[in-house]
Amino acid sequence: MADRKRLLLQAEEINLVPIMNLVTILIPFILMAASFVSLAVIDSTLPAIGQPQQVEQDPDDKPPLMLSLLVTDRGITVAGADAVLFPEGAPELAEGEERPPTLPCPGTSCSSLEDYDFLELTRILGQIKDEYPDDENVILVPESRVSYELIVKVMDHSREDVDTKNADGTSRTLFPFVVIAGGAE
Amino acid sequence: MALKRSARRGDAEGGLSITSMMDMMTIILVFLLKSYSTDDISVAASDDLILPVSTTRVTPQLAVNLVVTKSLVVVDGVEVLRLTEEADEDNPGELLTAVPGDEKKGQLITRLYDRLLEKAEDAKQLAEMTQSDEHEFKGRILLQCDKSLPFSVIREVMYTAGQAQFSEFRFVVYSGAD
Repeated sequence: MADRKRLLLQAEEINLVPIMNLVTILIPFILMAASFVSLAVIDSTLPAIGQPQQVEQDPDDKPPLMLSLLVTDRGITVAGADAVLFPEGAPELAEGEERPPTLPCPGTSCSSLEDYDFLELTRILGQIKDEYPDDENVILVPESRVSYELIVKVMDHSREDVDTKNADGTSRTLFPFVVIAGGAE
Repeated sequence: MALKRSARRGDAEGGLSITSMMDMMTIILVFLLKSYSTDDISVAASDDLILPVSTTRVTPQLAVNLVVTKSLVVVDGVEVLRLTEEADEDNPGELLTAVPGDEKKGQLITRLYDRLLEKAEDAKQLAEMTQSDEHEFKGRILLQCDKSLPFSVIREVMYTAGQAQFSEFRFVVYSGAD
């Protein structure tokens, strides 16, 4: 009786070896196609070349926003939005004097990415966006020596404010269309 | 005693239990299937090419692939030119990656321009032959650049691509938070 039961149990066992073979062959193939990091892209265009178009402006209208971000190793300068940044007029500069960066580096220059105040940049751009909600363009003017990683970081912080959420839970969009210009020497 | 008895029984049956091995393989298979990628592009990560991390979530689409590493410029897998390291005039003692002077005419990288122009012409011919919107030449180019490259190199590459009719840039980055 006991022998018969054992025989019955042995007959019920499935032969897993072919499945095992199949899985062993599948794993290297899938391993080759597996991606452990996800890729994304940042869109950008070259600045348009040609004569600037004359747009007739109503005197009552706000001056157009020509938002530019000058990225240097001394800091980041927000240009073209003086009406928002300096409502009582931009500070006077002596002849030949260079305008200091809006977000200066600690000391004379920034040695690493952490030295740049990206949170303040996002805050200032948010303030500009409040005044110009329909504007979506920003011109990035990096210095020649500035690293590509820094340019990507500035693009990230000018594109959206991840700390401010919309009603639908998405991050607040600031200036998503980045044009990279020739650059400051 | 009990151990000896079970060992003897195992010998008598003579089989190897592969159930636990099968469990492990199944778990690995499921994990790999979850990370299976069908992206149009791939990055050959190396010490010379480390992409920056960005918060963007735009997925890449197939286009001409221009890779700029710390030492090479590659178009669609074919090496076009080698970059050099030059002394940084503003920071004595430091080296800066640059395009060799004899490869340039002003800001135009001549060999890269010729290669990209070929690519643009090929893409236009394909669009003409297929007459489909899918293959229409839109001047899109995927740029994979090492994160430590100075903007001077990227500017020259972008200028050259622009001259070769590629004006829509897609900077490839690793997707992730800060």
